[in-house]
Amino acid sequence: MSSNTASSSAGSGDSSAARKNSKRPKCIDYSSALLSLTLLDSKFTQQELPACKPILTPGWVISTFLIVSVIFIPLGVISLFASQDVVEIVDRYDNDCIPAPARTNKVAFIQGAAPKSCNRTLTVTKRMKQPIYVYYQLENFYQNHRRYVKSRSDSQLRSPKFENQISACKPEDDAGGKPIVPCGLIAWSLFNGTYTLSRNNTPLAVNKKGIAWKSDKEHKFGNKVFPKNFQKGNLTGGATLNPDIPLSEQEDLIVWMRTAALPTFRKLYGKIETDLENGDTIQVTLQNNYNTYSFSGNKKLVLSTTSWLGGKNDFLGIAYLTVGGICFFLALAFTIMYLVKPRRLGDPSYLSWNRNPGGGR
Amino acid sequence: MSQKEIKDEDARLVYINDAERTNESFDFTGNSIKTAKYSVFTFLPRNLFEQFHRVAYVYFLVIAVLNQLPQLAVFGRGASIMPLAFVLLVSAIKDAYEDFRRHRSDRVENNRLALVFEEGRFREKQWKYIRVGEVVKVVSNQTLPCDMVLLATSDPTGVVYVQTTNLDGESNLKTRYAKQETLQKAADLETFNGFIKCEKPNRNIYGFQANMEIDGRRLSLGPSNIILRGCELKNTEWALGVVVYAGGETKAMLNNSGAPSKRSRLETRMNLEIILLSLFLIALCTTAAATAAVWLRRHRDDLDTILFYRRKDYSERPGGKNHNYYGWGWEIFFTFFMAVIVYQIMIPISLYISMELVRIGQAYFMTRDDQMYDESSNSSFQCRALNINEDLGQIKYLFSDKTGTLTDNKMEFQCACIGGVDYSDWKSADSEHAGYSIEVDGNILKPKMRVRVDPELLELTKNGYATKEAKRANEFFLSLAACNTIVPIVTNTSDPNVKLVDYQGESPDEQALVYAAASYGFLLIERTSGHIVINVRGEMQRYNVLGLHEFDSDRKRMSVILGCPDTSVKLFVKGADSSMFSVMDESYGDVIEETKKQLHAYSSDGLRTLVVGMRKLNDSEFEQWHSSFEAASTALIGRAGLLRKVAGNIETKLRIVGATAIEDKLQRGVPEAIESLRIAGIKVWVLTGDKQETAISIGFSSRLLTRNMRQIVINSNSLDSCRRSLEEANASIESNEESVALIIDGTSLIYVLDNDLEDVLFQVACKCSAVLCCRVAPFQKAGIVALVKNRTSDMTLAIGDGANDVSMIQMADVGVGISGQEGRQAVMASDFAMGQFRFLVPLLLVHGHWNYQRMGYMILYNFYRNAVFVLILFWYVLFTCYTLTTAITEWSSVLYSVIYTSVPTIIIGILDKDLGRRTLLNHPQLYGVGQRGEGYSTTLFWYMMFDTIWQSAAIFFIPLFAYWGSTIDTSSLGDLWTIAAVVVVNLHLAMDIIRWNWITHAAIWGSIVAACICVIVIDVIPSLPGYWAIFEVTSTWMFWFCLLAIVVTSLLPRFAIKYLGEYYRPSDVRIAREAEKLGTFIESQTMETEMNQIGDPPRR
Repeated sequence: MSSNTASSSAGSGDSSAARKNSKRPKCIDYSSALLSLTLLDSKFTQQELPACKPILTPGWVISTFLIVSVIFIPLGVISLFASQDVVEIVDRYDNDCIPAPARTNKVAFIQGAAPKSCNRTLTVTKRMKQPIYVYYQLENFYQNHRRYVKSRSDSQLRSPKFENQISACKPEDDAGGKPIVPCGLIAWSLFNGTYTLSRNNTPLAVNKKGIAWKSDKEHKFGNKVFPKNFQKGNLTGGATLNPDIPLSEQEDLIVWMRTAALPTFRKLYGKIETDLENGDTIQVTLQNNYNTYSFSGNKKLVLSTTSWLGGKNDFLGIAYLTVGGICFFLALAFTIMYLVKPRRLGDPSYLSWNRNPGGGR
Repeated sequence: MSQKEIKDEDARLVYINDAERTNESFDFTGNSIKTAKYSVFTFLPRNLFEQFHRVAYVYFLVIAVLNQLPQLAVFGRGASIMPLAFVLLVSAIKDAYEDFRRHRSDRVENNRLALVFEEGRFREKQWKYIRVGEVVKVVSNQTLPCDMVLLATSDPTGVVYVQTTNLDGESNLKTRYAKQETLQKAADLETFNGFIKCEKPNRNIYGFQANMEIDGRRLSLGPSNIILRGCELKNTEWALGVVVYAGGETKAMLNNSGAPSKRSRLETRMNLEIILLSLFLIALCTTAAATAAVWLRRHRDDLDTILFYRRKDYSERPGGKNHNYYGWGWEIFFTFFMAVIVYQIMIPISLYISMELVRIGQAYFMTRDDQMYDESSNSSFQCRALNINEDLGQIKYLFSDKTGTLTDNKMEFQCACIGGVDYSDWKSADSEHAGYSIEVDGNILKPKMRVRVDPELLELTKNGYATKEAKRANEFFLSLAACNTIVPIVTNTSDPNVKLVDYQGESPDEQALVYAAASYGFLLIERTSGHIVINVRGEMQRYNVLGLHEFDSDRKRMSVILGCPDTSVKLFVKGADSSMFSVMDESYGDVIEETKKQLHAYSSDGLRTLVVGMRKLNDSEFEQWHSSFEAASTALIGRAGLLRKVAGNIETKLRIVGATAIEDKLQRGVPEAIESLRIAGIKVWVLTGDKQETAISIGFSSRLLTRNMRQIVINSNSLDSCRRSLEEANASIESNEESVALIIDGTSLIYVLDNDLEDVLFQVACKCSAVLCCRVAPFQKAGIVALVKNRTSDMTLAIGDGANDVSMIQMADVGVGISGQEGRQAVMASDFAMGQFRFLVPLLLVHGHWNYQRMGYMILYNFYRNAVFVLILFWYVLFTCYTLTTAITEWSSVLYSVIYTSVPTIIIGILDKDLGRRTLLNHPQLYGVGQRGEGYSTTLFWYMMFDTIWQSAAIFFIPLFAYWGSTIDTSSLGDLWTIAAVVVVNLHLAMDIIRWNWITHAAIWGSIVAACICVIVIDVIPSLPGYWAIFEVTSTWMFWFCLLAIVVTSLLPRFAIKYLGEYYRPSDVRIAREAEKLGTFIESQTMETEMNQIGDPPRR
């Protein structure tokens, strides 16, 4: 019964048989399936599975480099354009916002009770389309310090049930024996600077809603978890929280708790939802509360638009252009080398024992 | 070998049929066996204990324990223990399953039934309850339950036949004897009393020493009086024996040991780089600790106020106490060890486990290879040692036995020289010759194997005793039929009237001779210890066997004394020519001279020769011999020596009858195999016990020697002449570049080995393209291998099939056993076992080459893979205030070398082939890659390491600069780094893959997909800080732009350099690969046809 299937490699006579068979209902001929299975099996055990054996020929390599450069150079150009499109106003205020007499001991000033209010004026040099993001930028602040990143309790943030899971939060775990919610160094050091913006002397609304990840608000920070005993310890770190608002609504905290990967980072403060025109002046009244002075950190206020690629950063565009350029150059060089000194592929006379007969062994 | 008195403290005392008394004071092991290692209770502790014998696991454990210290806790509990627990669990499950199967088979074995003499009759008893001292009855075709000393058998002479297939793989029947003294007594077992004093249990299955004392008489027992567990009783109705060793103390069980363990050269070589990597690891950890120290020192006054450090815990008491800060010195110390934990995979411990898996895979493919499957013996290739697969790719010296290895060890009677006249006229031999057969009692008896006959000689034998020549011819075949230890077994065929006579014996030469005699009408039909029956052309003749002097290697001959039907007593002797001519009667000088001439001609044709002589014994001679033989065979001390002396005394003044020539055919494909091995640059040394002429002629027919080779023959009888000829040889080769073959004999080797001449011999041998050592004793074989092994770092391989090759197989770096005619001892001692010599070619040139290339690449790749990851982690330390934060989640760090990147390297290590089988076989020179160690070297290691630094930098710094000063959070960046590393590392491997089949595709792309799935799974757990990060970050273009830039940038240099190297400085492998793909191998057509014999055996 399997006589015609067994010789399936034979050509035409076989196909006519197959045609005849095809009128029958399409049930699989198990013997042929088995045969092909054993053939596959023997191909496998003999390590003769059908395989593709690519080799790096000059043609392949040169065209690969060309393709890469053809892709990379335009990508680099559009990345650079995207970065150029972003309008960014950066204002470093940590030094200027300390009254001149206090600058000899900034730490004492910032820990003291003196008023911390400070006025800054920014000028818009290029039209900024909404939404304009307001960031505070900290430098030399290691939110990724090992001691710091570990000092949090994710389960406590999620549900009031786990209020007492504070073991990881040391040295900011409890106040007078009662658990702190949210506990840990991260929450404790919550940024407490505030900015009030006005344009040409009219207040400029900064929308502080929707600055945190939706996923964090919905799942990571519980809407039944309320701040407790927060900043009640002997040392106050940063901002306080309104104990009547659940954590899921405390967006500044949520943003802060997404610890930054790098020591220079921005955190979203809010969004301006109107366009800013070229020549507008922005007055900022800020509360310079946050102590970055003990570790010589910087504080900056940033107003920035974004492009589809993110913020203002030329690095990626330049990197793409460089790599694309190198690839183009290599493609060129390899082509010249190939034309000057070609080698016939697979020429047995290049084999070591053919090159110097007798000396081979 | 003298029968030594066994000292009391070394002996065990067995009271026959009195198990109580026997076990009273000693309590010998019962017969229940336990091959299972564990019980339910001991499993956990014992299994863990055994697993932790591996260094890798200990390293894992130490790191995991370090991580449990609160100050050092880098990873969570789960993440730190998981990899170790996983590996332990998998191994434990595997072990438990295997042990379960052993338990089951133990139970089956222990519950088998045997007849044991109890309370006056034989009763069935389960094997496990049999005790030492009991008497057991075994019937035909039953397996023996334990080691027993024979007391009686169904045969009145006390002979019993056993098959030892289970024990040593030999399928022929062996004869064992019950002592005459016990034969009658055993009829009345109740009153049987006596004891056996035997040696302590040992694993030597060919030796046994004991004394038996019955009724005050002492008898000595030897290996021929004991039957061993696992053997089967054949051709004997029943046998009675007393148990001397039971259960785990039987020789069969003691021999059940595992395969030898060796370490591969590559692995040893790799240790150097492991040390380098450890130094890197220490350097990285020191850097981390030192920079952390500097930072802490510079900020020591601010530590309490720095928001992200805050040293003091104020909640405990006013003023606060230090939290997790133990002072500057301790912090450095802790940082260092935390760094060790974080960077632990710098030392690729998982590599050892991957290597084991890869070797198992490679072994599977070697075992399943059709080209190494022997149809004649139905045996496939066996990998007994699992650690040295890749050594097969680096062999430089091959030492081969001849008989059974190069040849089939199937002896075929070819020529006879009777009375100095040569009968070897095969041309007129009738190919349709029906074979000899006779009719006995209405049944037709036929020898099982047909032998071609010389018609002239056949006619001559039919003449009976008419002429002198005819008389001699008859004597000749009578001696062939009589003077041996062959046991004829008559078997039934499909035709009830036709019976086949099958000759079973320990020596294939004897079998060939008896079959030859049968073809000329001298059909041996029956053998007991007392008589033989030979059917001479239809007439039954009964000969009494009065004495038998067995073959020994000192005399190199055997003899039998027969009482003939005409009441005369005749001595027949058969032996090697060197030992026979000295005991011949000189009065037949002309016949001797003629015979010698013929013998020389035979051995020049590569035939094995034996000389047959006989003598009629007169009464006084016989009486004298008989009494001394009796005395010697019952002697307690020095029996073997006495018997030898008795034999030597009687075997004199023989009349020459004739000589035989037996062909030991070369195995199929041997000449081609030797030739391609030689082209592959492997130096082939053949070590044989044969005569020089035989060896040289085999050398020519196996193409070890060729006509254009100059032969240097060293046959010296003294140290000085040996030195002289070696030095002459050494000088003569230096002068020119011709190909030279060295032929040296065993006597010369005695002077060379263990002497300063070894160096000279080595120098000479190195310059020769072939070396042939003849007349070599077994112990010299190992000496020769050691001579080479100790003087060079090149790899040696020894191949052999017999017990005499065991020492050589164990001495060489790689030992290969041929599972052939001479039993299984060589196989038991070997690392690899196969059926035919020619399989060496695919084994070395194909599998060895592949395995070496795969393993070399895999080691390098694993170093690279882990180092890239460690360096990415390390660069981040420079941006986290020198603390050991990892942006990559701890689970990803753990899974990286387990799931994300491990499968492809294992698959590639098993499946990738740099060149096709056909190419490798057609161009044996490609084997040089392994011999020169091109697949793995320190240069390649450093090249890999520089690439590693570049790639890790590209992976790390591109996102770093792209995201600098942005809102990127740790988890998102960590996810980007994780995925980038996995993609780059897998694409790097993909770039080096030579053959892409569906499995490779699945492994590579599957790994990347699996890594992404794992990252996603980790990021959907809300209680981890990185919740949803992967979705947030991948929804930005920035992520994808970074990923693309990383992949291209990191792989660019390697790609360009790889191309330049392969195109402008191509290696042989590369050219061959191009030629294979483009089909430009048009040369060497002739070779291809020759190779076909090796390359294309019929498919199974």
